[in-house]
Amino acid sequence: MFAPVSARLPTYTRPRGAAALIDVKDGAWNIRFPYIRIDGTRAGVTIRTEITDQCALYARPEDDFRVEVLVARGGKVPQGMPVLRSRKHPALTLVAPVAGEVAAIDLGPGRRLSRMLFFHAPESGRYEHDVTTAASGDAAATRMLLLSAGLWPSLRSRPFGRIPAPDETPSAIFVMAIDTRPDAPSPRLALEGREEDLAAGLRALAGLTAGPVVLCQDRGPDIGGAAGLGARHSIRKVAPVHPHGLAGFQLVACHPAAPGRPVWDIHAEDVAAVGALLRTGLVARTRLVSVAGPALRERRLVRCQPGADLRALSYEIARPGPHRLLSGSLLDGSESRWLGRWHRQVTGIPDGERDRRPHWFSAALRGARRPLPIIPTAALDQAFGGALPAAPLVRAIAANDAETATRLGALSLTEEDVALADYVTGASPRLSTMLRSMLERIAAEEEA
Amino acid sequence: MRGLLDRETVALLLLASVVPLAVTWLLATGTDSLLRLVFVLAAAGFWHLAFMLARAQPPSFAGAFTALAVAVLAPVELGVIPMLIGISFGIVAGELAFGGWGRNVVNPAAVTITFLGFGFPAAPWPDLPVQLGWSVAAVVPIGIVTGVMSWRVVAAAALVLAAGAYGLSLETSVLTAASVVLVLLVCDPVASAATTLGRWLYGMLYGALVLIFAIGWQGAGPVQAAVSAALIASLAAPLLDEIAISLWLARRKRLG
Repeated sequence: MFAPVSARLPTYTRPRGAAALIDVKDGAWNIRFPYIRIDGTRAGVTIRTEITDQCALYARPEDDFRVEVLVARGGKVPQGMPVLRSRKHPALTLVAPVAGEVAAIDLGPGRRLSRMLFFHAPESGRYEHDVTTAASGDAAATRMLLLSAGLWPSLRSRPFGRIPAPDETPSAIFVMAIDTRPDAPSPRLALEGREEDLAAGLRALAGLTAGPVVLCQDRGPDIGGAAGLGARHSIRKVAPVHPHGLAGFQLVACHPAAPGRPVWDIHAEDVAAVGALLRTGLVARTRLVSVAGPALRERRLVRCQPGADLRALSYEIARPGPHRLLSGSLLDGSESRWLGRWHRQVTGIPDGERDRRPHWFSAALRGARRPLPIIPTAALDQAFGGALPAAPLVRAIAANDAETATRLGALSLTEEDVALADYVTGASPRLSTMLRSMLERIAAEEEA
Repeated sequence: MRGLLDRETVALLLLASVVPLAVTWLLATGTDSLLRLVFVLAAAGFWHLAFMLARAQPPSFAGAFTALAVAVLAPVELGVIPMLIGISFGIVAGELAFGGWGRNVVNPAAVTITFLGFGFPAAPWPDLPVQLGWSVAAVVPIGIVTGVMSWRVVAAAALVLAAGAYGLSLETSVLTAASVVLVLLVCDPVASAATTLGRWLYGMLYGALVLIFAIGWQGAGPVQAAVSAALIASLAAPLLDEIAISLWLARRKRLG
């Protein structure tokens, strides 16, 4: 099915609206891995590289991301060039996800970023960052490079699950080389052939912390052993069962986060991107994303740019009928037009439920007693991976008891960690919503 | 599939798992029991309906589970009025006043049965047929596989009771009552302990209380002793959970 696509669909004659398929060298970007094990089967895996025509950097209103715009609307930007600067942390910049043209800049009140839209135009080339000081191993220069090259937001800091502050020093860094979410792309595929990038990235990360750098991976061969970090680098082998592959539960088990003791986590592919930046000065163009879901005919693995257009990635394989596209997995995804910051999955789900309105009486009964009680069952325990006292924690979150929830380890968790419990128990309002508002409240109290 | 294991599904799974026990009980005791079950169901259903209309509190299938437990374990030969008073008190004060199943502190059936037993001490406690004890062997796997009963509670109680039966040569009626009460009252996921260690302690406490009552409580019926043990154990469950959490936190001190 995936014959060398460059022959079928040359980039310069592609129809507008369709995904562009890049060929670098005789269509060599349409990589085939014939004998890689995925899900225990010996199946051929095809990864297509699709740079969608449109893509966007976006922020939600609650992110409160105030920006200074560095380029003009309509300007041509090479891929990787800084285009937005944070007003709160001027060192932090975001870069163009794709070579092309700045199509629209939508700012909300107070210069809060709403969306910055790009049209793809490959002739704009790539932006080369100056990496000479950072590549020599200087930690401060590495930090500045990550901030200025737009790679900083691929880090996530706990407690509170935010982008770390530019001057924050973590007590540990967790590198996630496993992803157990349903239909998630295997990080092993993403890291295939990038061992040196990963090793360079791990060394750079180790310079940002005095604590351990923990790489969480499946039970296969060791990943990232080439970094030569010695005792500070440890490999944690994780059962390939959701939710064990989420960073939150690994943190809880061996390095809980607390205020004043932040722990970062980052996906292994992003670490390889850091290594590639240090070695070449170029920002990685794509990330490995899986496109799947009940509303799609098949599961696809694609390499696409950050902020890619989800419609362009999925329209070829969408089933007939109304559907919604989630950025993220079925469990923790949110409806979006663009691929989210930490997301590596696009999920299409049928959209038929909006029209079915419940009878007013059952709606009233359902709405009257919220949050709904959650019965502690074996399913709830497993949704928390057995790492935490699930039922007391869920009760504390539902009762908005921040003190107990903190005692039970809620500060190491973010929304994605309770998404499975949400899904299983059908909690209403969602546990992830309640946890997020509790975390925001704790954060506000900490800052005060 | 989202929300598969919400409150009502869990209640239905609990009901499904006790079907073997209910069928055995009805076969062994006949029409009188069926009438008794229907009566308790109607009384419990009335209060669920009343709370739905007055307090917008959705009724739950857990009410049927409570009704079955009351019908099987409550003292027999009580009149209609005492039964109504007991059921009303147990269902309202044990469950509905807290906001319905899932928010209650103790098992409403345990409250009802102890209220009736100690409020009307002249009424005899039921004699559970021995096959009811064997039907528990079918109930427990269903409950554990569906995840609505904790295998830790069952295993802990079974270990203690087995040790007691071996060492103290307990009567069969005590074991029958203890096992029936185990699945009908002790394994209720809401009123039991909710942490891993807490569940072990909770099951062991229940088993130990049954043994202590069997030895030291002269004149108590087997069902009376087992129900009392279940009520005391469920009152101690939050304490056991707190102990388990404190130990868990103490072990995590080294992580910082």
